[in-house]
Amino acid sequence: MIGGIDLFIVVFFIVGVFVVGVYFKKFIHTSEDFFLAGRRLGWWVIGMSIIGTNIGSYDYVGGAGAAYDVGIAQANYEWIGAIPAMVISALLFVPYYWRAGAYTVPEYLGKRYSQPVRVIEALLWGTFLICCLAIFFWASGLMINTYIGWPIWLGILLTAVIVGIYTVTGGLTAVAMTDVIQLAIMLVGGFAVAIIGFHEVGGWSGLVERITVEHPDHFRLFLPLSHETYPWLGMIFGLGLVLSPAWWCCHQAIIQRTLGARSEWDAKAGMLSAAFLKTLVPLLYVLPGLFVLALATEPLADKDQALPWAIKNLLPAGLAGLVFAAFLAAIFSSVDSTLNSAVTIWTRDIYQNFIVRKASDRHYLNFGRGLTLIFVVVGALLAEPLTTSFSGIYLAMQTLLTIFQGPTLATVLLGIMWARATRWGGLFGLVGGVACSTILHMTDMNFLYVAWWSFVAAMIINALVSLLTKPEPTEKLRGLVYGLVMKDEHIQNSLSSRVEGGE
Amino acid sequence: MIEWLEDLPLYWAKIIGTLFFLLVIVWAFTRPKEYIFRGAPDGKAWRDLRIWAVVILIIQVFLYIGF
Repeated sequence: MIGGIDLFIVVFFIVGVFVVGVYFKKFIHTSEDFFLAGRRLGWWVIGMSIIGTNIGSYDYVGGAGAAYDVGIAQANYEWIGAIPAMVISALLFVPYYWRAGAYTVPEYLGKRYSQPVRVIEALLWGTFLICCLAIFFWASGLMINTYIGWPIWLGILLTAVIVGIYTVTGGLTAVAMTDVIQLAIMLVGGFAVAIIGFHEVGGWSGLVERITVEHPDHFRLFLPLSHETYPWLGMIFGLGLVLSPAWWCCHQAIIQRTLGARSEWDAKAGMLSAAFLKTLVPLLYVLPGLFVLALATEPLADKDQALPWAIKNLLPAGLAGLVFAAFLAAIFSSVDSTLNSAVTIWTRDIYQNFIVRKASDRHYLNFGRGLTLIFVVVGALLAEPLTTSFSGIYLAMQTLLTIFQGPTLATVLLGIMWARATRWGGLFGLVGGVACSTILHMTDMNFLYVAWWSFVAAMIINALVSLLTKPEPTEKLRGLVYGLVMKDEHIQNSLSSRVEGGE
Repeated sequence: MIEWLEDLPLYWAKIIGTLFFLLVIVWAFTRPKEYIFRGAPDGKAWRDLRIWAVVILIIQVFLYIGF
């Protein structure tokens, strides 16, 4: 357990994040300020916020454990399993979301296809994000319990109060700006561990020599097809071509930052700068996992103990506190982003779309704040039952994600790329793709292949049904489909009037 | 489904992976200039996002060739 100077650093971090988050309350006057930071975010804030959101505590603990177990192949999730998709997202998807003036990805799909497609997507993502919130709260309580010794419920309460208050008051602006601080702390902590680790093992060559004697595959990015969890073909086709683009091009918590950009260029540059930062992420957890493998005299009984081992045995006083603050930063940034995104989806796509359609802007701002509070309480209350009632909750979440990510990507991709895709094609493609992945999950197929085939099925169904149904009118598709782009002014005027109309 | 692929040497994974990156590089580099700069406050060279994309992806190509 940490104490002394380490505890001081952790407390300083928590208070600092809280103060900075609450400071941004003064910028919130409208619902657009709350949900999209008033569309004022610059590219570097967007980039840092995206990566801060993306890195969670499980990346640290589970990622270091996996790197200890399989080596640098774990970095595939950060490199081939992220960066090409981020480039495609920046230069293809993000501009169309941004031009559409949408607050959420389901809202874009509603404009491009139909309300049923929007609602299905909103319910899937909205439910998934609330479950994620509960899991993040539990992870936070568990981590605070492990390193500081406080009861789990107290750790959950602390996280809920701190993150809840600054997210309720400051909205996306507070979330994005605290993400920047949190990522900076994670990177500083990561570099510190890397420097100390390399010193201990005798540099890169020392690390390779110590490990490759007994683990010759630990410095290979691609592992054989016979590998149970990291077959190279699944990595390229399942992860690289489907799961990763689905995550980086369609995940509300990721995309929402780019929708808050002050210009289309900032939106694109924000995602690209995130891609550059993503290159560095394996430093944070893959390297520590390898250091432990090289330095531990006895094999670890539980691979997830790799990072705690590194903190306990590698880091001097002060640095352990910094790395623990980085853990907390990873959790806080995931909790605040998930919270804000869940609230945005439930407010814009469900409440404003079906329940109260024509209220004042102040009404939606207040509703968003109230719903944020409710989700904080619900997430905190669900944390224990949701996590302990199901065995392998992370696996369950991964499975749920796999079921709808491939079909979602197919629906968005055809929506942007093919003007002939119709409302019926979108609806049947989405539902058919989800049905396909659900059936495939009942077989023993690796989830990476399930993602691929459900994507292919959704593409084919969407295309076939679209060709058999009436094309969408050109006026509806303006600014939403590649190749039908008018001059910006016309697009924005046309779309603004549509947004005002609540369509 | 993929049994015939299991006989392929592992370097084929590198070749396919590298081709994947190269494909994205070519795609990114061929985006129209007007599209890339839309919304930028000026046309300075450092704002050319095609260059950003290519640099980021080339780092990946080197990593995947090296490991």
